[in-house]
Amino acid sequence: MSKRQLAMVFDLNKCLGCQTCTIACKRLWTREEGMEYMWWATVNTMPGRGTPRDWEQSGGGFRDGVAQAGRLPTKEDFGDAWEFNHEEVFFGGKGDSAYLKIQGQEPDWGPNWDEDQGAGEYPNSYYFYLPRICNHCTHPACLEACPRKAIIKREEDGIVLIDEDRCRGYRFCMEACPYKKIYFNQVKKVSQKCIFCFPRVEQGVAPACARQCPGRVRFVGYKDDPNGPIWKLVEKWKVALPLHPEFGTEPNVYYVPPLSPPRFDAAGNIDESKPRIPDEYLVSLFGPKVLEALAVLKAEMAKTRAGGKSELLDVLIAYEWKSMFGGFDKDPASIEWKKV
Amino acid sequence: MLAPFVRGAPVEWLLDPAADPWHKTRAERLAMTGTPLVLQPTAAIRAAWTGKHIGAVEKVEIAALHNGEVLAFRLEWADGSENRDPNDTTAFSDAAAVLFPVVDGAPAISMGGPKLPVNAWYWRGDSDAQGRQVVAEGIGTSRTVDVSLVHTHGVWKDGRWRVVIARALRVQSSEPVVQLDAGSGAHFAVAVWEGSHRERGGIKAFSGAEWRSLSLAPVGGKA
Repeated sequence: MSKRQLAMVFDLNKCLGCQTCTIACKRLWTREEGMEYMWWATVNTMPGRGTPRDWEQSGGGFRDGVAQAGRLPTKEDFGDAWEFNHEEVFFGGKGDSAYLKIQGQEPDWGPNWDEDQGAGEYPNSYYFYLPRICNHCTHPACLEACPRKAIIKREEDGIVLIDEDRCRGYRFCMEACPYKKIYFNQVKKVSQKCIFCFPRVEQGVAPACARQCPGRVRFVGYKDDPNGPIWKLVEKWKVALPLHPEFGTEPNVYYVPPLSPPRFDAAGNIDESKPRIPDEYLVSLFGPKVLEALAVLKAEMAKTRAGGKSELLDVLIAYEWKSMFGGFDKDPASIEWKKV
Repeated sequence: MLAPFVRGAPVEWLLDPAADPWHKTRAERLAMTGTPLVLQPTAAIRAAWTGKHIGAVEKVEIAALHNGEVLAFRLEWADGSENRDPNDTTAFSDAAAVLFPVVDGAPAISMGGPKLPVNAWYWRGDSDAQGRQVVAEGIGTSRTVDVSLVHTHGVWKDGRWRVVIARALRVQSSEPVVQLDAGSGAHFAVAVWEGSHRERGGIKAFSGAEWRSLSLAPVGGKA
């Protein structure tokens, strides 16, 4: 076990699905050849099949501590990287007639393919967005699956990294990760994944996905820092929960579950008795503790509505942007970055 | 198995599995067997391969020769699919290796053991010309020690792989790698990975727990 653990909390009540995090990560880390199809940070509509397709049903992880067989997603499951006629549209002198088109075969799947479909019947339909990165698990299935000891979990901060010099592209890690957050680079023939922006973190800068998020969704910090937002949300207020805790890997990305509007009854009247997002669905994602978390959120909201103060809501609202980053609030523009 | 001496054959020539010198060798047939599930190095691999057949390639024909400086093996086996560059996240390359004990008593079945290193000369279809020299001291300890000393080339034709794996008899290395001499003996084992069967790492067909004997003809000696 690492001495300390860096973690994130994603507040699902604030995520708009704008994909700024996705693009921030893409621009920073996955622009090289062989990485075209990679999205270390993704945001998907839930309920939905997710990215890669049907990852929740792909096995891996642990059940009662025992490693489970997992499935390898195909490149198509990840959504692949579509080719566009950029040349024609932008440089072909046909700016008023040509438009961006996918080249080759029309895809029938892509990242975020089922955006905003959600579930439920009108007027009680519902959905929310689920941002995901590597969970930098405390019990990483990828690390334990690798026969080459090519995956390490850093002592000082718990970040899980793949050593590309040791990796031989066997992809046992990809099979074993129940969150399917590991990608195979066909050019370098190694597995790659979210690195929690460790070169930024080492300089006191929050990961790009968190710092670029316009919705103030992503909290960053050490799990054991009582002054930081992670400890407050996870340990003190217990409103942030890991995704699919039953996978047994002890993720270090936590989610504040989504509250939902009330339902309409058959006569079109508001029915406060049941939430729009079924409890059982949220329990299937975040475990049974999600109901207590929602109850705490509702109680604190009621308190402030009545004119009271709530430390929890102050943290979640993040009046002070920098307070979200647990001390990792340095401006990246103030640092002289060296390429190694 | 005898590795005849072929005077003056340059390595580039030996790397062509259809080159003349190979006609002078007599290939030996090795029965291959899957590596045991219980010996796979991690629980996730054992879970993933429980109930699945390991070791898709059942026999390999192997021949060897040397030119006084370089020892070359030619491995040949039936394979309906040529798996070189993996074109999907679910695709794997065909691969093969020749394994040597570096010290007496190093076991083949467990890739050596602590202080009992074994040395593999490794070819993989996705990097055909770049052989790897690998050292292991027990299951799950394989590491590449260089990518320059082992020369490889594979040709897939008519449903068969013919792969040549060669290395200098003696090499400068600070690593525990095998050093060989013309006119003396050696032991070896063989492994083949069938890419289309998703074989990689410890999931492979190998020539069994018993080392095979190889004698290298003396320089100037006749085949």
